[in-house]
Amino acid sequence: MSVHEDSWGFDPGYARRAAPLLGVLYDHYWRVTASGAADVPATGPVMLVANHAGPLPWDAVLVAAALQRAGQPRRPRLLVPDSAFERPWLSIAARRLGGVPDTPENAERLLAEGHLVCVFPEGARGARKPYDRRYRLESFGPGEFAEIALRTAATIVPTAVVGSEESYPRLGSVPGLGRALGAISLPRRVPNPLAAVPLPARWRIDFGAPLIASGHDPHRAADRTTVLELSDMVRDRLQQAVYDTLVKRERAF
Amino acid sequence: MAGRRVLITGVAGPIGAALAARLARDPGVERVIGVDTRPLEAGLAERIDLIAADLRAPDLGDRVAGSGADVVVHNDVLQLPETGRPSSALHDLNVIGTLQLLTACAALGDLAAFVVRGSAAIYGAEASAPAFWAEDDARRFPMRTRFQRDVGELEDLVAGFARRNPRVTCTVLRMQPIVGLGADTPVGRWLNTPVAAPTVLGFDPRVQLLDSGDAVGALRAATLRPVTGAVNVGSTDVVVLSRVLRAAHRRALPVAGPVWNTVVGTARRVARQPPLPPEVERWLRHGRAVDITRMRTELGFEPARTSIEAAKGAAA
Repeated sequence: MSVHEDSWGFDPGYARRAAPLLGVLYDHYWRVTASGAADVPATGPVMLVANHAGPLPWDAVLVAAALQRAGQPRRPRLLVPDSAFERPWLSIAARRLGGVPDTPENAERLLAEGHLVCVFPEGARGARKPYDRRYRLESFGPGEFAEIALRTAATIVPTAVVGSEESYPRLGSVPGLGRALGAISLPRRVPNPLAAVPLPARWRIDFGAPLIASGHDPHRAADRTTVLELSDMVRDRLQQAVYDTLVKRERAF
Repeated sequence: MAGRRVLITGVAGPIGAALAARLARDPGVERVIGVDTRPLEAGLAERIDLIAADLRAPDLGDRVAGSGADVVVHNDVLQLPETGRPSSALHDLNVIGTLQLLTACAALGDLAAFVVRGSAAIYGAEASAPAFWAEDDARRFPMRTRFQRDVGELEDLVAGFARRNPRVTCTVLRMQPIVGLGADTPVGRWLNTPVAAPTVLGFDPRVQLLDSGDAVGALRAATLRPVTGAVNVGSTDVVVLSRVLRAAHRRALPVAGPVWNTVVGTARRVARQPPLPPEVERWLRHGRAVDITRMRTELGFEPARTSIEAAKGAAA
């Protein structure tokens, strides 16, 4: 009897079947270097907070692959924009890879169940950034991720991803193309006609030191000042980590 | 409370009849009174008292008041029109019928609990939904189908009744799609479509079913131990639609979303099959799972069958 989907619809076998193809992309196309992946806790609620770019979530896929190579037993669960779940096939693929609709309840429940969750607090803003603002983090909005991390006592791991911006340089936009191609984060506008074919940039993924938000209790999660302070702190750390990783990568192609 | 007197609406239907039979055997229940226009099975008719009335009958109030019931189980909530009746008649039954019943209940001096067989259809089926709906999440999205709006109105009526009658504990059981036990339900119809069950091309959502035996069990649990407010009722597992079909040994026939209603509607008419209500198409697209924590902890009910077992049983 084969392994079934879990109650979230995640299909462990699906990701495993995609691994050989992904391995080629990982090693030879994008030449990914990862560091710190072994320090990501293997148990308990963990929130990977990463910077985001590109209309298709290759960053999430490569983060998952980097963790798997470092021996992380869990696959990161992803919060996927709703639009993906409205599209045929994309909805199935997103679900089977561990995607869930991007709502705060879902994030909180996943963490409460002790899952590893990858979040992109920039959201669609990250994907919409022009090329000359690459690797500059957008606003983290109201810091919802920090509130959820406080409430669920999750360990935060700032995850710097470098390479995603060059893979999808946003030089101009073509209205309507995104929909035609089924891109996830941009329903209407897509950076360039190459969106279907990401460029072979060199990637580097750096998992930062796990950050245990101090004073885990529900009262602190309700306090806006604490939430925004934590959100800002994580954002500063991640921005610094992204710049450091960018320097370490040396060449983009 | 010893010797409950339980009044059950829709008692001639499969779920109402099974509930009445179980309660009639229960030593804690003194009397079971049924309300239905349809005749009862012979075995059941001996054990319970029947009020042969429609919920919309003008004399319902007097007849219900005369029963002296202290628990009312409103089980006569329909998702499918009876054969030969238009679907617009459902609103009449579900909303006006409930209103009449509640008016009658207000005159019942001993009434302690009012239990409704509601539906998790109140949440709808949405792409951007919580993966497990909690009781507080109703009405987060627009009410999209007639039945969903009816269930919403019904819950409003019950909430209003609860506010005006604080002595009565009102429970709404929001049940996931019920299958099995000869119950003619939308998902049961879908599952038993001849040849192959239609699915929506490119969608394979997470779903949660409820075996009709467990629907009866949950109603019984709420009758004997009512809790205030809405309680989600579903089996303990959440599974993918394709797995439900495999478990039931049914073939899937994927139909493209934009033409789904036309194709499936026509096919069912040609094959002389009863139509599927519009909720089913949305459910096949986005599915629905609910959080059953309240059912387990407060209602103290544990379903006997999983979604997979329920599907297997229903397709047999």
